Amino acid sequence: MITFEHVTKRYQSGSIALQDVSFHLDPGEMTFLTGHSGAGKSTLLRLVLMLEKATRGQVFVNSKNLSKTSSSQAPSVRRGIGMIFQNHKLLSEKTVFDNVSLPLIIAGERYPDIRKKVRAALDKVGLSGKEKSWPMQLSGGEQQRVGIARAIVGMPPILLADEPTGNLDPELSRGLFGLFRQLNERGVTVLVASHDLALVRSMCQRVLVLSQGRLVDDIPGADIARPAR
Amino acid sequence: MSIVSLRKRSRAWGRRQLYSFFSSLGTLLNHRVGTLMTVLVLGIAMALPLGLYMAVSNLRALDLQQEEWGAITVFLRSEAAEEQAVSLARLINQDLQASAETISPEQGMEQFREASGFGQALELFDDNPLPWVLLVTPGPTDGSDLEEAVADLEAWLQNRAEVELVQVDFKWLQRLSGLLRLGEALVSVLTAVFSLAVIVVVANTIRMDVASRSEEIQVLSLVGAGNSFIRQPFLYSGFWYGFLGAWVALALFNLCLYYLRQPLEQLLDAYGNRFVVQNLDGSAVFLIVFTGGVLGFFGAWLSVQRHLRQISDNDMLGRL
Repeated sequence: MITFEHVTKRYQSGSIALQDVSFHLDPGEMTFLTGHSGAGKSTLLRLVLMLEKATRGQVFVNSKNLSKTSSSQAPSVRRGIGMIFQNHKLLSEKTVFDNVSLPLIIAGERYPDIRKKVRAALDKVGLSGKEKSWPMQLSGGEQQRVGIARAIVGMPPILLADEPTGNLDPELSRGLFGLFRQLNERGVTVLVASHDLALVRSMCQRVLVLSQGRLVDDIPGADIARPAR
Repeated sequence: MSIVSLRKRSRAWGRRQLYSFFSSLGTLLNHRVGTLMTVLVLGIAMALPLGLYMAVSNLRALDLQQEEWGAITVFLRSEAAEEQAVSLARLINQDLQASAETISPEQGMEQFREASGFGQALELFDDNPLPWVLLVTPGPTDGSDLEEAVADLEAWLQNRAEVELVQVDFKWLQRLSGLLRLGEALVSVLTAVFSLAVIVVVANTIRMDVASRSEEIQVLSLVGAGNSFIRQPFLYSGFWYGFLGAWVALALFNLCLYYLRQPLEQLLDAYGNRFVVQNLDGSAVFLIVFTGGVLGFFGAWLSVQRHLRQISDNDMLGRL
């Protein structure tokens, strides 16, 4: 589903964000991406979303070679991916319903279908009845869940999350990761970037460890429960 | 691509257009004051050429064929007899689709006496020195053809042996015609200049819209919106600005007309003219509103093309 083959990303400033990174995620797999700040987690996600192009190597998403895909095709690649952001990226001038419905409107779906799917997505993240609320009226945790509802409303096969628990307390963070697990159990491929090692370990899923742009460890889920390496 | 797939895609495209159409309207309504200011500026810009156009059209519509406006005075030779005058008048009436009225020397003397106040002095003449006179009026023509019709008549009359002098007081008509041509040229120039102004005002407004909604553009891009989807609401906003500006222009024009109509008609009535100020008909209103919308759309397109590219170049799109 997602494959990196010897991917290197060097920015124009000369700094190397990723260096010779290779890994493969199978469909329906749940994986955590961890590492310190500046390890290259966000850059890796940006490459998957076609916000950046690899300097060297190849990135495959849904069997599509992104290195050979023109930037005009980026929207269609992104429509196949649900993205959850650390700072939620909600539109403050739109209601919860309008925010969550954006991917469906972009896909040109019928309004009755949009209404049904948005309600289902909000129900899934525990925000039923908040359709008419404004983002500013919600707590940080609720805003994050609106962001998740927006990411999953179109039922994309891939879900990416960049530090989704950054502003949440431990209890909410655990609840959020539980939600990722539920989505994964329904067949969604999940890739979560997080520096919260304790939380990541508690999920007992595969972990990719980045350090200074290099993939230094690829720990299978089964090994996670063992003492830290 | 199968027909079913094509139909599905075209329906999705239609739904996206509808969404953009109404969301752009919603955005304008959410920023009522700003929208009102922009629309007023556009309305004033459009009202100026519109007003001048209507002024010129109304002048054109003035009855240029009134008898005294196109009349030719034909003085026959002094030796010409009544039969010749009547015969020439009949010829003009029948063959030249014009009307001719004969004035005998006696009638002419009587009119001169009344007009000049030299009643007693005129009695000193032994003979009436005035010749037979014909007052010739060209037949019905369009206002623009009147000049040509009068010139043709004048040339024909001058070639007649019994005619001594043909007098055409036509200069004022030529001046009016020149003024109308100048007015039309001014309308063209002003229309071009103010159309450009509309495009620039809309482009600048949309530029500010794009800048103030850069966050929304960024989010839309991240959730998979293509450039066309991002562009659409701005293009429709441009259309709405131009469309509403055109209605404001029409409202301003009608307001001015409401105050000017009565004194203008009274003034022209004083000159014996049964003139009714013409307003725009339905097709003209449609054309103005449609043109306003198109100009706004074009201004928005110019601005969006440029500024979305700038946002993209600055890598604002999709910053995580």
